[in-house]
Amino acid sequence: MNAPAAPARLGHDRPLRVAIIGNPNTGKTTLFNALTGLRQRVGNFAGVTVERVEGAFTLGDGRRVTILDLPGSYSLTVGSPDEQIALEVLLKRDASHWDPDVVLVVVDAVHLDRNLFFASQVCELGLPVVIALNQIDVAKSQGITIDIPELIHELGVPVIPTVASRGEGLAPLRNALFTAAALPAPTSRFAIDASAETSLARHKWIGEVVERTVTRRARSLDTPSDRVDAIALHRVGGPLLFLVIMALVFQAVFSWAAPLQDAIESLVLAIGHRVGEVLPEGDLRSLVVDGVFAGVGSVLVFLPQIAILFGFIGLLEQSGYMARAAFLMDGLMRRVGLHGKSFIPMLSGYACAVPGIMATRTIEDPKDRLATILVVPLMSCSARLPVYTLLIGTFIPALPLIPGLDLQGATMLLMYLLGTVTALAIAALFRKTLLRGPVRPMILELPPYRWPAPQSLLVSVWQRCQVFLRRAGTVILSLSIVLWALATYPRAPADATRTAEQQQEAQLVHSALGRFGKAIEPAVAPLGYDWKIGVSIVASFAAREVFVSTMGTIYGVGGEDDAALADRLRTETDSSGAPVYTPLIAVGLMVFYVYALMCMSTIAVTVREAGGGRIGWRWATIQFVYMLALAYAAAWLVLVIGRALGFS
Amino acid sequence: MTLPVASNDPSCHCPLLDTKQGSESTVVAIACGDSEACRLRALGLYEGATISVIGKRHCLLVDVSGTRLALGSDLATGITVQPRAATAP
Repeated sequence: MNAPAAPARLGHDRPLRVAIIGNPNTGKTTLFNALTGLRQRVGNFAGVTVERVEGAFTLGDGRRVTILDLPGSYSLTVGSPDEQIALEVLLKRDASHWDPDVVLVVVDAVHLDRNLFFASQVCELGLPVVIALNQIDVAKSQGITIDIPELIHELGVPVIPTVASRGEGLAPLRNALFTAAALPAPTSRFAIDASAETSLARHKWIGEVVERTVTRRARSLDTPSDRVDAIALHRVGGPLLFLVIMALVFQAVFSWAAPLQDAIESLVLAIGHRVGEVLPEGDLRSLVVDGVFAGVGSVLVFLPQIAILFGFIGLLEQSGYMARAAFLMDGLMRRVGLHGKSFIPMLSGYACAVPGIMATRTIEDPKDRLATILVVPLMSCSARLPVYTLLIGTFIPALPLIPGLDLQGATMLLMYLLGTVTALAIAALFRKTLLRGPVRPMILELPPYRWPAPQSLLVSVWQRCQVFLRRAGTVILSLSIVLWALATYPRAPADATRTAEQQQEAQLVHSALGRFGKAIEPAVAPLGYDWKIGVSIVASFAAREVFVSTMGTIYGVGGEDDAALADRLRTETDSSGAPVYTPLIAVGLMVFYVYALMCMSTIAVTVREAGGGRIGWRWATIQFVYMLALAYAAAWLVLVIGRALGFS
Repeated sequence: MTLPVASNDPSCHCPLLDTKQGSESTVVAIACGDSEACRLRALGLYEGATISVIGKRHCLLVDVSGTRLALGSDLATGITVQPRAATAP
């Protein structure tokens, strides 16, 4: 009745703003998803939440809430870029002026003492706070009992027990957010500074709070997680298991995806064919069949591979193995001047450099971080797969080498290794020159192993597929149409004496695309490429997979089942009758794509993550130029050395 | 409920890196960069905390109040601890 007027209007006039925050591995993101229904990636590795994600929900009485998922943080006083983002929002200094009304702190009931360190810091910011005591079920199963009324009394803020993974405790939590908005902010006990004295005083106070509120069985140093770690972190067994898991991931990406890819390919071909039959002969039919279906279809077939790769990355993150992988790789990373944490962005780089570069935010040292950003795009991302698959499938014979591995598979593996080894070497080079400095010591939390939640795993895979499909539907579709137009106009005069194929060739040479290709041919000629490859390379700057769709558009295949792109490339000859594409050229082209930064999105994200503005552009330019130089030199070397060795 | 400390004598102090695997110690001092020290304290590794060494590799695997941490050996050299005697019955 006599509640203050202003907060009572919150939720009606404008939504209540809630910032959700907590230590990594508390189930914060799972709780966020459960509250809003808006799903995002749920991970187990410290700091997977690097993207800004906002959700919303409405209560039964019509009151609205928007929630901002802040990056997992251990403290408000030490700054990884991730934690700084969170602090900016909590201090109402966020650039977007998203000022929270209430802060929801997610606390892991199993590790209450450690989590209270951070939670108590948040309580001192002068904002109303609600604490979600999450994973209360796990705590109970480990014999931990928490006296919640006493905890509320000690902390002076509402504490709601929750089990985010099962959606328990959500209703009282939602109500508590509104109640808290009308309450005064909790009183401040300590200063928020980085001094040892404050930290120790805080720990002493937390010790007393825990003493009064928590009863527990003695802690064990032989938990199920420890027993798994006895193998997963074993001196010999650990790296072996790591290699087996990595091999399994790659095998799955390349072999499990094949039947699905075939299915998608036949489907796109069938639809293209059917649509082509309906349309009248002419430019429109050519646009739809040769432009749209050939261009987008040749990229769409890589959806299964992308889904499987992101599925595995999500599985490794959620289960908690990713942190172990970082631990195992720390020794190697340290030798090239990087931090063990740099391994996660580099591994993500196999899927896509964009999330990989964003994942570097968990690296505290700016030089470590920059060196990692600069080399992440050298990891062969899923957008290169279409290029590798096309060229390997077309030009590399499937000679069996050892059981389970043929020459095609080995070539693919070699491309991935080449990128990875180069990334490590370049990182070492940067750490000795532009980014000289000591490597920060390793501090890494190894979270308990958890069974991945299949639902959130599927959601995260679907999210990544959506991003890819959106790209296929926008960037690649529009480029396919533009390229089709450039390859079709101006029209070459019809000549009845030519065969259909000769006419097509003459049209291409006469077109705007052909003229542009001829103009840049001198630049790519030393690499053994003709103007068609040159055009495809330039077009693929939008995104690498566009190389394949450009080739598809140039050769007008994909819409006809009898002339697949691969066959067309194999039989393509130059004016003297010599084949344009030889295995050597194909290998050179693949090496070019291993190194070249042919991706607008990566450049954009590097600019932002390397510091933005002029500094960001400087690093992005350095990255683009060194990678292009590397690509050109390496492709040239492949050609020269290959020819000297007698290959053609 | 503190465990009996072997001795308060500083001569018993040693770097965390030199403690035996499976042994339990009390953290006495943390000597490293400020931001690392701050990070360690936020993770529950502070002066006075109980720390157990679970494994030794290129870095150290430790337990602090139920949290498993991997610490670089350079860092573990800078953490001074006082090993505890076996728990009294």
